[in-house]
Formats: sequence, structure tokens, C-alpha cells
Amino acid sequence: MRTPQLRTRHVRRGALAGILAGTWLLAGCSAAAGPAAVPTAVAAAPAGSVPLTSSMAAAGGGTWAIVAMGGSAAQENNFWELFARPAAGGPWRLVTPPAVADNGGLVAAAPATGQRLDIAFRPSQDLTFSPLALTGDGGKTWATGLIDASVADVPDALAGSGGTMLALLSDGAVDQSGASPASGAPGGWRQLAAPGAIAASAAGRRCQAGGLTAVALTPSGVPLAAASCARPGSAGIFARTVAGWQAAGPAVPGEGPVRVLRLTGTASGDTALLQAGAGATATLLAAWSVDGAHWTVSAPLSSGTGQVLASGTGSGGSVWVLLPGGRAEAVAGPAASWRALPPVPRDTAALAAGAGSGAFDALAVSGGTLTVYRLTPAGAWDQNEVIRVPLQYGSSS
Amino acid sequence: MPGMNSGLDPADPVITAAFRSALLHQLAIVGIIFLLLLLAWGATRGWVTAGSKAAQAPAAAWREPRARSLLRIGFGILWVFDGILQAQPKMAAGLPSQVIEPAASSSPGWVQHLVNWGGTIWSFHPIQAGAASVWIQAGIGVWLIVAVRGWPSRLAGLASVAWGLVVWVFGEAFGGIFAPGLTVLFGAPGAVLIYALAGGLIALPERVWETARTGRLILAGMGAFFLGMALLQAWPGRGFWQGTQAGQPGTLAGMVQSMAGTSQPHVLSSAVSAFGNFTAAHGFAVNLFAVIVLAAIGLTFVSGQPRLARIGVLTGIVFCLADWVLIEDFGFFGGLGTDPNSMIPLILLFTAGYLALTPSPQPAPAAQPAPAAQPAPAAEPVPVPRAVPSWLPKALHPAALKDSVAAASGATFAAVAAVGVILVGAAPMAFASTDRTADPITAQAIAGASAVIDTPAQNFTLTSQAGRQVSLASLRGKVVLLTFLDPVCTTDCPIIAQEMRAADTLLGARAGGTELVAVVANPTYTSTEFTAAFDRQEGLDRVPNWLYLTGPVAALSKVWHDYGVTVENLPAGAMSAHDDLAYVIDAAGNVRQEISDDPGPATETTRSSFAALLADAATSAMGKGQ
Repeated sequence: MRTPQLRTRHVRRGALAGILAGTWLLAGCSAAAGPAAVPTAVAAAPAGSVPLTSSMAAAGGGTWAIVAMGGSAAQENNFWELFARPAAGGPWRLVTPPAVADNGGLVAAAPATGQRLDIAFRPSQDLTFSPLALTGDGGKTWATGLIDASVADVPDALAGSGGTMLALLSDGAVDQSGASPASGAPGGWRQLAAPGAIAASAAGRRCQAGGLTAVALTPSGVPLAAASCARPGSAGIFARTVAGWQAAGPAVPGEGPVRVLRLTGTASGDTALLQAGAGATATLLAAWSVDGAHWTVSAPLSSGTGQVLASGTGSGGSVWVLLPGGRAEAVAGPAASWRALPPVPRDTAALAAGAGSGAFDALAVSGGTLTVYRLTPAGAWDQNEVIRVPLQYGSSS
Repeated sequence: MPGMNSGLDPADPVITAAFRSALLHQLAIVGIIFLLLLLAWGATRGWVTAGSKAAQAPAAAWREPRARSLLRIGFGILWVFDGILQAQPKMAAGLPSQVIEPAASSSPGWVQHLVNWGGTIWSFHPIQAGAASVWIQAGIGVWLIVAVRGWPSRLAGLASVAWGLVVWVFGEAFGGIFAPGLTVLFGAPGAVLIYALAGGLIALPERVWETARTGRLILAGMGAFFLGMALLQAWPGRGFWQGTQAGQPGTLAGMVQSMAGTSQPHVLSSAVSAFGNFTAAHGFAVNLFAVIVLAAIGLTFVSGQPRLARIGVLTGIVFCLADWVLIEDFGFFGGLGTDPNSMIPLILLFTAGYLALTPSPQPAPAAQPAPAAQPAPAAEPVPVPRAVPSWLPKALHPAALKDSVAAASGATFAAVAAVGVILVGAAPMAFASTDRTADPITAQAIAGASAVIDTPAQNFTLTSQAGRQVSLASLRGKVVLLTFLDPVCTTDCPIIAQEMRAADTLLGARAGGTELVAVVANPTYTSTEFTAAFDRQEGLDRVPNWLYLTGPVAALSKVWHDYGVTVENLPAGAMSAHDDLAYVIDAAGNVRQEISDDPGPATETTRSSFAALLADAATSAMGKGQ
């Protein structure tokens, strides 16, 4: 039998061990459970993604541009806006299609007819399908349509030509529609490629294709789909033929993987923006094709960090890219070389090729204000317009 | 933590008024309980015959040990005080989102999950939960105070343990012991854990208080706790040694300064703020002082020596009181303070340990006077005892019951009354917690008062999602829940649709007599491909009594006008704006109620609550207009 004193000592020893163990555990728990990371107000584009910000030429002249404006995307206060500049070179106008919250992003396709533009709303929050807005008059009036799925978060997820539309969906499927006989709006969507089908095809396996990055239609209506190829040497552009999906991309010099950042159908053919390699050694190449099979590839352009902030196309097959550090480069079309533009103004979100050779507008966004700078022949960016957009802050929250 | 936050303002007038009303009703019941038991006690005193052995038995000579008495009365008062704090108007709506959720926010996921479960039950039934906390805590407090000895007293201790642990887990998120920044200076390991410990000590057999061993054990435990807390306070890398870090207040200074911001008398906030500034300027010295004092107190307790322990107790009292005032800031201000935090309970506990270390001897039982010789009673007719069923336990035999009642003191009756008080709060809450649907009062608070109308509903004919022409008149004979939804809306409309669907589920068999009808509220996206896509998105294509109606913009505009719904396209990438309104139309085609169904913060609680509100509205309309 223990004496009370012995018992007390036992308690003390046990208590001491308990104190040390408990304190270590508590301190350990405390150190392990650090405060949660606070999300930044405007998240950077995920690695490898292609920003939706873009501009493109309308078939009948004029230019479309899509930029994000407003505030925090996390608080649904970012609004994607569509601007149009008429063919005659007049002022830019806000023509964002109404009646759908566009916080998820806008994806556009400019079919090769007049002032037509097809817009798909990327769904956000509780919406799971993509409403379509279609204009044939430069954004003055809009018809509606529907893709009963979410279009992918890439700028070339939509393509249109001659009443046919292609849509690249978030799950990696490619759907195709015919035009509704009554309204001309797309209807009768059917699946052209199941998720992963192109990567699993013989052509896809040969280039070790990854996820799809774009869809387009050739002037003759052949569906094209673009993907990243892990195997060096060729761009992952695939054409849908009677024999299935066939490799249709150009050969690309270099050792690294090839990503198709953009694949855009224009009146004169298809224009692609390719990235060969990765990181600081990555190069950018533009490629043009009138039939989706034969391509002209530009000389490579060193992109520095491998990150492209925005990109777009213009008339005549011109391609522009916005790179970090205010750097902008453009190539006027097949057989032309990349040309460095003067450092763009602060807050420039997108460029838009002008009607004349070498003419560019820089679209700078600050909150709800769009400032347009025009590149002068002397190589300076002159402020040309200021558009205050009546953003409906809080309307989507 | 999605469930527990109702998104309501804690001072929401609808909730606070309902809470006050519930408390007043239950107070009346509590009064009746006490009155009835008082009458019963008085009656039984007369009923018990002089011949009852129990009534004749002299009261046993027993004096409650000072330590136990301190714990019992001290924590009894604390529980009563906490119960009164729970009756503050903001408690019903504010406790989950303003107290429980922040308490658990920095804890690991599993703690948050567990706490969220409890908080959700509270948010679903805020009035019952708020009132239950008042009466349970007040009842336990009264029970502890009035039940001095025996099983009523020990059971009160056990009740304190049980409720203390419930509050510790669900109300204090385990006192934050799994979260970073743990410190005794701010109440670790949770005030109610100390309540539970004290309850456990009260629940021990009374004989354990007769030796010094209990006191030694209590003090040893407290000593180990203080030493552990000193070590934790001294642990590097937790920010307690720095008054400021990168221009920001250090951990301790930041905590104190945040407490100073609590709504309280100016003199208190000034004192706390001044101490916060002092800590920011002299963080190392303040923490060093705290570490040394905590360790010193711990060592005196662990020593088991009464003389040293006395010094430790006195030091501890001064230290804890200073901490209570300057760091914990009393703990009960601001309208949502639930208790006076941990320092007073700690003082009670270690002081009781010290008192138990030096127990007072029990008085010797008084000598029984020799019974005087009584003359033999005159022979009386002996009543024939009524037969007692053999299966009845002896304790329930009428004679035994009679003796028990005779032996029961006023304190025992008061203890029974206290249990009744607990049940007044606990029973409705227990009943409510079985209901997995939130009470409609949260939706009522968000929607405001719904208009009760009795006018004929304007008829319209539109096209269903299936392409069928449907008129409102064709739905006569059914109650119609009519609302207005934008099929390409990204926020409110999908939520309202889900609330309608949930209301349909709540109606159960009565759903057959109800038609859920939505009219498109978007002037651009009006075709049936959008209503059908919306139905698929929301799973409404499987709800047989759901109609989503659309038509030409002119026809829609007339319906919007007839039902007072404004619909307009906003510029620059915003969705269509429209009023969120629901109408309840009875079987005869009369509008009975207009409800704002703007889902507000759209939390799990509000969604469930709106579903309940809509289901209740449909149910109440069913008996009308037949």
C-alpha cells in the first residue's frame, strides 16, 4: 500500500509528464493549424490556361473585343464586357448582350458573314448551362440560343460558320449544332467528340494529345479541334473527316511540347497561335491555313516567361499577343514577321488590330472605365477614348 | 461552416420579439411549476401522519465540507448567471454566427464539422434553442444551489457535467484547444470545461471530501494545468513574446485590443485598451511575467503543502482577477457574452482544492435522548392493510412513498422544481431538434411581414415547359404557389426553385393538391428551351406538379404587371432584375397571401426556412376557397 506522500509524488511525476506531453501536443497542433490562405481578389489565370480576354475582326469589317471589368471575381463583381468598333473606324461601343450575368466569362465566335457575332455565356454560380446571344447587326439586337452544358474556359470554345456551330465543353466534349430552320439560331446539338475521344484517337495518341484548347471551322465547314501535344514536332490540330479525327496541324520546330493557345476561324481561313516549349525558353508561333490542312508558320518569337496575358486576331490574319511587363508583339499575317509594339499603357487588358497595317488600339481597364489608346505612326500610344461602363456591382451576389 | 449561419442580423426584431415571447411563456410555466410544487409540499406535510417513521427521525448531523459548498454554490450561481446571459435578445439569432462559428473558425476541419452540426440545429430552431439554453442553465444553477446533499445534489453535479460538455464541444469548439493561439489568459481550455470538472467533483460521494486526499488531488491537477499553461505561454514561435510583429500587434496585444472593441462601459474599454497598448509596447515583459506567475502558482499547487498552496491560491486569485478584468474583459459584455469566461471558475476550482486540503472535522452526532416511558396506548382497531401487488418495487409501496415524501425537505422539492425548469427548456428543444426542417421564423424575419390578401387572382394563359398551353383558371381546385423566375439567372432564382421543390417535399401527400407555378421573369430568354433547361438544372423535370410557364414578351409583361412584378434588363453584363415574390392562390382562385421570397443570404438555414414558410402557406390556404 502506498503512502499518501508516495501517491502525491506519483501524481507530480505524472503531472509533469502530462504537462510536457500536453504542451507539446497543443503547441504542435497550434503550429500545424495555421490560418487559412486568404484568396486574392483577382486570381491569376491557372497555369496553362488561356485568358478569355481577346479581340477579333468582324468579317464585314470592324472589330470585337472582350475584356473583364469591375472588381473582385471572388465576390462576383467582375463583369465581362463586349465592345465593338465599326468598320469605318468610329468610336468603340459597349455592346455586351443583355439579360444574363456574365461573371463566368464570354466566349465569342465571329462567323464569316457581315457583322455577325455569336457569344456564349460561361455559366457562373448556380447556372450550369451556357446561354447564347447572337447578333447579325454589330450588337444592336440579339437573338438567343442555348448550349445545354457549360462551354470551356478558353477563348476559342465556340466556332461558327454558315449556320453550323461548334462548342468545346468544360468536360472536354465537342458538340456541333445545325441551324434552327425557324430562327437561324443554333439548335439540334449533337456530340461530335466525347470527352477524351480525340486524345484517344490514333492521331491523338501519336502526338500524345492532352486536353482540348480550341475548336474552329474551316471556310468549307470542316470541324477542327486543337489540343496540346506532349510529343514535340507538331501542333495538335485535328480535323474531323469521314475517317474520324485526323492530324491536321503544322510541323513545329523545337524540342518541347506544343500547345495550341488559339485557333480562330476567320473569313480567309484559320489562324492559330502556338506555343512551343515551356517556361522561359518557350516560343510563340503563328500559323495560318485556308483549308485546315496546309499551314504557313511564322518564325518563332521568344515569349520570355511563357505566359500570354491576352491574345487576338485581326483582319488579314494578323495576330497579337500581350506579354508580361507591358510587352506586346504582333504579326501582320502569313509571310510577315513578329513586330514588337511600343510598351503598352498601364492597365492594358487587350489590343485590337486596326484597319490599316500596323494600326492598333490598346484597351486599358480600370474598374468600370475603359480607356482606349491608339498607336500613332510615331510609335506612341495616344489616349483616344474613355468609356465609363455602368457596371451593376452587387447584382450577381 | 455552411449550416449554422442563418445570415440574420442578431438583433433582428422578428427573432428577438419571438424569443422574448417564448421566454415569457416559459417563465410563466416555470412559475406554475414552483407554485404547484410548493402547494404539493405543503399538502404532503399535512398528509404525512405523525406516526411516520421518517417524519419522526431526527435530521442527521452533517455539515457540508467547505470545498464542496464553495463549488456547489459558486458554480450554481455561475450557471444561473449564464442562463440570464443567454436571455439577451441577440442570443437566439446571433449565437451560432457570432459566437460559435468564430470560436471554431480556426479549428481543424473535423471540429468545424462537428460544431457546424450543433450550430445548424440551433440555427434551424433559434427560438427553442435560445430558450432551452436559458432554462437548462438556470435550472442546473438552481439545482446545484438548493440540493445540498445526497442524490439530488450529486445528480445536479452530473447534470452540470453533461451540459458543460455539450456547451464545451458545440458552443466553445472544445475551448479552442485544437486551434492555434491557445492560451489560458484568454480562457483555455474553455470555461465550461471547468464547470464540468466542478460538476464532476460535486457528483462524487460525499465521503471523499472528508480527507485531505481530495484536496491534494485537485491541487495537483490544477498545478499540472498551470505548469502546462506556463510552458505553452513560453513556447516560442506563437507570437506571445512580441508586443508587435511587422507593425501589427502581437498575439496577446491583438487579442486584448480586439476585446477592447466590445460594446461595454467606457471605463472598462479604456482600461482594457490601455493594457492592450501596454502589452504592445512591452510584450516580452508581460509574457515573461505571465509565464513566471503561472509556473509559480503551478509549483505551489503541485507541492501539496498547505502553506505553499495558500500562497499559490492568493497569488492565483489576484492574477486571475487581473486577467479577468484586463484581458478577458469580464467576458459577458457586448450583448452576446455567454459567460464570465474562465478566470472566476478557475478561482473557484483551485480555492476549493485548497479548502479540501484542510477539511473541517464533521461534528459528532448529537446524543439521542432516551425515549421516555410511554403509557401503553389504548387498544384501537388495527386497520387491515390493503393488498400490495407483489410485482411493485418496495420503494413504490404506499408506506415507502409516504416515508419518502415525509423525509423530503423543502430543498428536495426545490431541486425537483429545478429539474422541472430544465425540462421547460429542454423538452421543446428536444422535440424541435428531431425536425430536420428549419423553422419558418427565419424566413419570416428575412421576408418581412407577408401580406394577407383575399382577391381574385388575375388569370393568364402561358406555355408550359412541355409546350402545353396552361391557364391559371385551369388549375382551380388546387392551391397554387406562384412565383417568378429567370431561367438564366445565376443566383436567386435557382435558390427559390429549390425552396419551392423542398416545400413540395414537405407537403408530402398534400402536394397532390398543390401546383407549383413559376412564370418566366426575363424579357430576353423566354423560349421553352430555357425553361426546360432550367428544370433539368434544378431537377424540377421530375416534379409532377411543377409548371414553368412562358410566352411572348407581351403576354409575360401583362402577367408581371398584374402581379406587381417589375422585370428589367440591366446593362453591362448584369442579369435581368426582377422582384422576388410568391403568391399563394387558393383552390377557388383567390390570392390569399403575398410573400417576398427573396432568399436573402441563402444559407442552409434560410433555404430550409423558406421551404417551411411556403409549405405552411400552402397548407393554410388548403382549407380556404373550397
